[in-house]
Amino acid sequence: MRLARAGDESAFAEMVRRYSPRVFRVAARFFRRREQVEEVAQEVFLKAFTQLEGFEGRGSLEGWLARIAANTCLNMLRSARRRPELTASDLTEDEAAWLDDKLAGVAGERHRSAERAVVAADLTDRVFETMSPEDRMVLMLIDGEEASVKDVAELTGWSESNVKVRAFRARRRMREAVERLLARGERNERERFKSAGER
Amino acid sequence: MRDEHIKEMLDGAPLDNLSESELTAVRSHAEGCEACGRAFDAARVSSLLLKERAAETFEPSPFFQTRVLAALRERQSGVEAWSLGRLWRAAGVLFSTMAATVAALAVLTFVVPQPAATQQEVASAGRAYTAEDVILEQAEQPDEQMSYGQVLTTLYDTDEDAGR
Repeated sequence: MRLARAGDESAFAEMVRRYSPRVFRVAARFFRRREQVEEVAQEVFLKAFTQLEGFEGRGSLEGWLARIAANTCLNMLRSARRRPELTASDLTEDEAAWLDDKLAGVAGERHRSAERAVVAADLTDRVFETMSPEDRMVLMLIDGEEASVKDVAELTGWSESNVKVRAFRARRRMREAVERLLARGERNERERFKSAGER
Repeated sequence: MRDEHIKEMLDGAPLDNLSESELTAVRSHAEGCEACGRAFDAARVSSLLLKERAAETFEPSPFFQTRVLAALRERQSGVEAWSLGRLWRAAGVLFSTMAATVAALAVLTFVVPQPAATQQEVASAGRAYTAEDVILEQAEQPDEQMSYGQVLTTLYDTDEDAGR
């Protein structure tokens, strides 16, 4: 750490090797394409190199890097345009089928396949596109990764009560978005049945 | 149990964190309440979606370290090149200003014709004066001093005026 701070390249290389898995994990909560994740992780380490002198050593270096990663990802997502709302007609056939299966309780762990997992992750991203980057992050960490409120507070620099409030609101927004999606899906399904019956 | 209470329970914590008794209460309420049934379904689907999404992970490639170091060197050399470029541009501005100043002075000195008065002044400034020159110059000038008689007349006229 001391050597890396003094500009020693090999010490910095060791730092990258040791902490890149953690930085990748944080970046993968925000981005799904490998190139994007690598790009973010690279940016994080370049920022870290220039800001090493500002690291006071109060917390762990890993935690400091994770915070830089979270902030970098949030900033990148903030600049991206948000969709106003996701509607059932926007869904692909696979996504609609996934939702139907989940509702019917057919697809449990037994039926889990890599392909279906990708469909679910795609669907999550599409719901996420209608939410703020902060909401997405807090949900991914607490509900997806089962991180504690304290961990998220440390990662983001928010207070624990702020994390709780944000998680509550984000959960509500996501639930309502999915609820609308399911309701429209059901309506479309009913209309399809109706028109098939008339024929 | 009120509808809002059920929804607050669903939104208050991840679904997995709800206790068995809480889940039983939600299920039993949701059976008779369509709105809460939909909210519960949506909460279950949301939870599954987030779990599936979180299951996606990336491991750094073996070349990642090399890539970061290359980017670091590139950025550092970029900064150096930028500094050199700035220095070069500043030197260029300084040099052209100096050249322009020298050219302007040369033009003023050799090309632009000097006014005649100035030439005379320059010529007289260049001439060396001697004591003799000064006396001769004074002698050439008409004597504007009063003569002795004129002085006396002036004095007496003034006294007579005063006596009257």
